Amino acid sequence: METQTIIELSNVNFGFPDQRPILTEASLSIEKGAFYLLQGPSGVGKSTFLRLFNRLEEPRSGEIRFKGKLLSDYPPPRLRRSLLYIQQTPAVVDGSVEDNLLLPFSFKTNLHLKKPSRRKIEALLEQVHLHGVAMNDHARTLSVGQLQRLCLVRGLLLDPEVLLLDEPTSALDQESAMAVMALLAQLNRESHLTVLSVAHQIFRQGDVAYRHLQLKDGRIEGTP
Amino acid sequence: MTGAVIEIGPYQLILALLFILVAGGASLYHGLRLEKDLLIGTIRTFAQLFLLGYVLKFVFRLDSVWPVLAVFLFMIVFATRIIRSRIKEKQVAFFWPMLISMIISYALAAILITGVIIGAKPWWKPQYFIPLGGMLIGNSMNAVAISLDRLLGDLKERRREVEMMLCLGADYHEASKDIVKNAMHAGMIPAINSMMAVGVVFIPGMMTGQILAGADPLVAIRYQIVVMVMIVGATAMLSFLGVRIVCRLCFGTAQQLLLRPEKNMRK
Repeated sequence: METQTIIELSNVNFGFPDQRPILTEASLSIEKGAFYLLQGPSGVGKSTFLRLFNRLEEPRSGEIRFKGKLLSDYPPPRLRRSLLYIQQTPAVVDGSVEDNLLLPFSFKTNLHLKKPSRRKIEALLEQVHLHGVAMNDHARTLSVGQLQRLCLVRGLLLDPEVLLLDEPTSALDQESAMAVMALLAQLNRESHLTVLSVAHQIFRQGDVAYRHLQLKDGRIEGTP
Repeated sequence: MTGAVIEIGPYQLILALLFILVAGGASLYHGLRLEKDLLIGTIRTFAQLFLLGYVLKFVFRLDSVWPVLAVFLFMIVFATRIIRSRIKEKQVAFFWPMLISMIISYALAAILITGVIIGAKPWWKPQYFIPLGGMLIGNSMNAVAISLDRLLGDLKERRREVEMMLCLGADYHEASKDIVKNAMHAGMIPAINSMMAVGVVFIPGMMTGQILAGADPLVAIRYQIVVMVMIVGATAMLSFLGVRIVCRLCFGTAQQLLLRPEKNMRK
């Protein structure tokens, strides 16, 4: 299959004041349909690195392109729906599970999108082992692990082109983590979803040809 | 006015200082260490009010629009500085946008009240415009400070929730809607509460002043009603404008939240 670059970083610099730079003249190509695992020492700025892709942070200098166009060429809400970032610590609004899952469909940018059917939602919930959770349960009564999966499902319902995940299985038990990884691998394999995930845990090899990225001392490098 | 005002002479003013002596005595007795603040506060009260008295007398005598507007502007600039100093969050620079929105809101409200409702001729007649404008600014200033403090505090505290919505395709306005609503609500509550309690729990200062000056209480209450609704209206308008403007300043060009945890603050 011919490879195609979906995101390209050129000479990107980023850092917070009075702290060590997170990126120094970093350049990188992310291929469409690939599954990247981002690794690096704790506190090196892996989460911040992901936030640069959907403009929650802006580089000091350098360029980031998505499908050949500069990120600034896209309206930010539209860009963020395509390059969907899911935070490590799950965040929900006050309301039911259903309110939270359908929340994105109330935003202006997403109004034209077809709301997912109940069957589709329930199938996804089941795939991440959330079958015990009812749609009318209050979201804030769920455990952190359940919320983490709920947030993943909510993001997937928007059908993003790139999924930016910040430790998606950090609060999960082994079994639930395997279910999440299996779903992500399936989406990557069957729907060619590009995934870039910060992961301390070793993802199961064999399902997907994971590519490894290492962030260290302001440099981002592909490792075999 | 139906009666003469009993003048307060210098000796009576000095006699009134007995209250400060009582407060100072209490501070000493309980070891509150407020004596110095009490002294400075008393000197400032005397100095500032005497100065105001002379300035107002001078402006009233000039009877020209420009000095009236200059006093009005001075009060607004000072109010904006007070609001800025009361807000703990310093990451967002909002002095100038806030000043402009305050000038617009207060000017509209004050002109409406003196020129249209009271019908003063000309609309800037200093005896009406300056005291009413001062009451308007003094009362709504607190409301705006409460609103903005709440807005900035909540945006920082609920940062994760705001960013979650941004990540799901919300624009900054959608992501902060709930927080903006709560901030405006917090600012409006004191003004509404004072409408509930007026005349029952307390007699407002303006009405007290008019009655002391010999006005018919039925005339005084009408002025007070106008002042109360003016304060509520201006508070609503200013909270709305101020909160919206400052909220926008909290988001960058990519509609990303600029308020960040202290460790990652930009200089």
